[in-house]
Amino acid sequence: MPLLIDQRIVTEDPWQLLDQAALDEGSPIPENGPIAVPIIWYRQHREALQQRNSPLGVIVNGDDDLAALYADHSQLDLIAIEFPTFRDGRGFSIARQLVRSGFNRQIRALGHVTRDRLALMQSSGFNAFAINDERFQTDHLQAFSEISVNYQGTTADPRPIFRR
Amino acid sequence: MYQYNQIDQTLVDERVEQFRDQTRRFLKGELPEDEFSALRLMNGLYIQRQAPMLRVAVPYGLLSSTQMRKLAHVARTYDRGYGHFTTRTNIQFNWPELAAVPDILAELAQVQMHAIQTSGNCIRNTTTDPYAGVAENELEDPRPYCEIIRQWSTLHPEFAYLPRKFKIAVTGATEDRAASQVHDIGLQMVQNADGEIGFEVLVGGGLGRTPIIGKSIRKFLPKQHLLSYLDAILRVYNLKGRRDNKYKARIKILVEALGPDEFRRLVEEEWAHIRDGELTLTDAEIARAKSFFTLPDYDANAANADAHASLGDSLATDIEFNAWYRHNTLAHRVDGYRIAIVSLKPYLEAPGDITDSQMDAVADLADRYSFGETRATHHQNLVLTDVREGDLYAVWQALAANNLARSNIGTLTDMIVCPGFDFCSLANARTLNISDQINEHFDDMDHLYDLGEIRLNMSGCINACAHHHVADIGILGVDKKGEDWYQISLGGSSKEDARLGKILGRSVPASDVALTVEKILAVYVDQRRENESFAQVVLRVGIKPFKERVYATAH
Ligand code: HEM
Ligand code: SF4
Repeated sequence: MPLLIDQRIVTEDPWQLLDQAALDEGSPIPENGPIAVPIIWYRQHREALQQRNSPLGVIVNGDDDLAALYADHSQLDLIAIEFPTFRDGRGFSIARQLVRSGFNRQIRALGHVTRDRLALMQSSGFNAFAINDERFQTDHLQAFSEISVNYQGTTADPRPIFRR
Repeated sequence: MYQYNQIDQTLVDERVEQFRDQTRRFLKGELPEDEFSALRLMNGLYIQRQAPMLRVAVPYGLLSSTQMRKLAHVARTYDRGYGHFTTRTNIQFNWPELAAVPDILAELAQVQMHAIQTSGNCIRNTTTDPYAGVAENELEDPRPYCEIIRQWSTLHPEFAYLPRKFKIAVTGATEDRAASQVHDIGLQMVQNADGEIGFEVLVGGGLGRTPIIGKSIRKFLPKQHLLSYLDAILRVYNLKGRRDNKYKARIKILVEALGPDEFRRLVEEEWAHIRDGELTLTDAEIARAKSFFTLPDYDANAANADAHASLGDSLATDIEFNAWYRHNTLAHRVDGYRIAIVSLKPYLEAPGDITDSQMDAVADLADRYSFGETRATHHQNLVLTDVREGDLYAVWQALAANNLARSNIGTLTDMIVCPGFDFCSLANARTLNISDQINEHFDDMDHLYDLGEIRLNMSGCINACAHHHVADIGILGVDKKGEDWYQISLGGSSKEDARLGKILGRSVPASDVALTVEKILAVYVDQRRENESFAQVVLRVGIKPFKERVYATAH
């Protein structure tokens, strides 16, 4: 799964993303190294997870209740937001609210992350993009610069065009 | 009108290239069908019954004559010589080739036109009053705010994948000519107790299979908060709108499910985070937007005695011109000028259709007589907003020579009609044959004038593209075992007194539609008191007498 950060391909992704089904089946939590767990699991096992002396992240999607997360994410180093289908755009607004709440570490797009939405995701606050192997092509990197104009403002520069 | 600067032009040019590449990747098999479908829809491209269909954006209905000529050129070069104006004031081309669409878009970009967000689950073209800036009963010209909304909504990174399409209408007059109560968001300019002008915000209106009138969630929104408030509404909708069922995905369903009070609470809560932030409109930005919609250079001499006398002469000597003047022109704010409506409802032609040569003719007239501008209306007509009274006769003659001067504005044959089964793959029934039938049946203009203002709208299916719910007489095509039938409703309105029509009873076969309309009108004529309009009679007597006449069994 190629991962893009800063519009470049990163080869070393230290993060292990654990999924709910595996956790439910008792798959063990790695003792070391950065891990991200589904937010439901995080809420249930928060203290144990924070005992580990490694970076911690959560995985969320549009069905989760995220108000508490926006209020308290200072312990987290990564928040991964899932796009379950191509047409599901809730992740854009979640990223926007997350940035607004002051979260400034990795916001990773997961799931249906394809070339034609990369630039929109970046403008909405994502800074890391996990793309499926079958879909990935190196020309994806050009997607960020196809449209150089944005009227609305981005996370990098939140001023809409009339304030620039 | 708004002129692109280098930034706007760069955006549309880059968008053309982006779409060219998406089309290339799709044709090469690199882009799956379902993804390309969402991407092409956001660029106005449908795959329809006949061919692909391209819907070109006409932001808030305003067209320069240069743009109109370019549309004529596109119709001639890439299509079959005509286009179709829609209720959303856009224009559709029914026969382009998929592979040619990037080239069409490149041609349109030369005149600052595009097809961005004319379809798909994003914020669509914002619509407004076609008489904005010239109407007499206007609080303020809504177009600068439409332009501000256009920029904010164009390629909005966060709102490109909404649960469903999203339509905003803005109106600045006391009379609502933008059907703002049946839009996802209706913005109505209002004045508060302190004399300030702002917006009343209506949310959750819409037609389609679940027709609903919008609910007011804010009585007064100061202008500088326009964008932050819209942002808050859209964010709540993007996060909470249903995504499991596309028929329940519009914001109107969310507002109904939560109730307007809870919906308002969520919006205000979201808004509290951003209300004084970067999106707050500056005075400079409002002034800049307004600077594009200043008054044209009106002729101070337009109302002179000669012009007046010559108009009087023409009206007295030419009864056809006289009828056109009475029905197709309207009072103007400036003395000596009138608003002239170009009827796209000629006898036995598809309502809203316009040929390449007609587009060229309108462009020429706009240049010569109306400061080079034309407006498209949601009634599928065009408007020349600033014609000198002394020029009206010449304008009428030129329009008549191009089959654009039928004096039927506001009458029964000024119908809104969607293309129906002939062009639309979603249709249940044909519509264009029925509009012909009605035209043939009611071909006596004096009879139409006697009936007065009547809005008849006809949709080929439940999607209600032709606003049949909000017509005096609404006709909806339904399919019964492979045959076309038509359900009729009465008493709707899309104006400030917006209401949904009531269904008359069982649907009628295709052969009986005009006859049924005749019976309905006969009841009106019987019942009307002096000067009472069709709408007033339906409101007063209800639909029962109409029902009885239409479904009376023959003795
Ligand atoms: C031929 C291609 C067309 C297709 C495939 C199409 C498709 C649709 C669909 C699926 C809806 C229902 C959406 C919903 O309620 O969620 C709809 C609604 C609508 N369409 Fe079209 N349409 C077409 C042409 C037109 C034309 C020609 C007009 C104008 C004459 C138009 C204007 C509208 C309007 C005003 C609505 C009502 C939306 C509302 O208020 O809820 N469309 N269309
Ligand atoms: S109302 Fe139905 S038939 Fe008519 S254009 Fe809309 S989708 Fe097509």
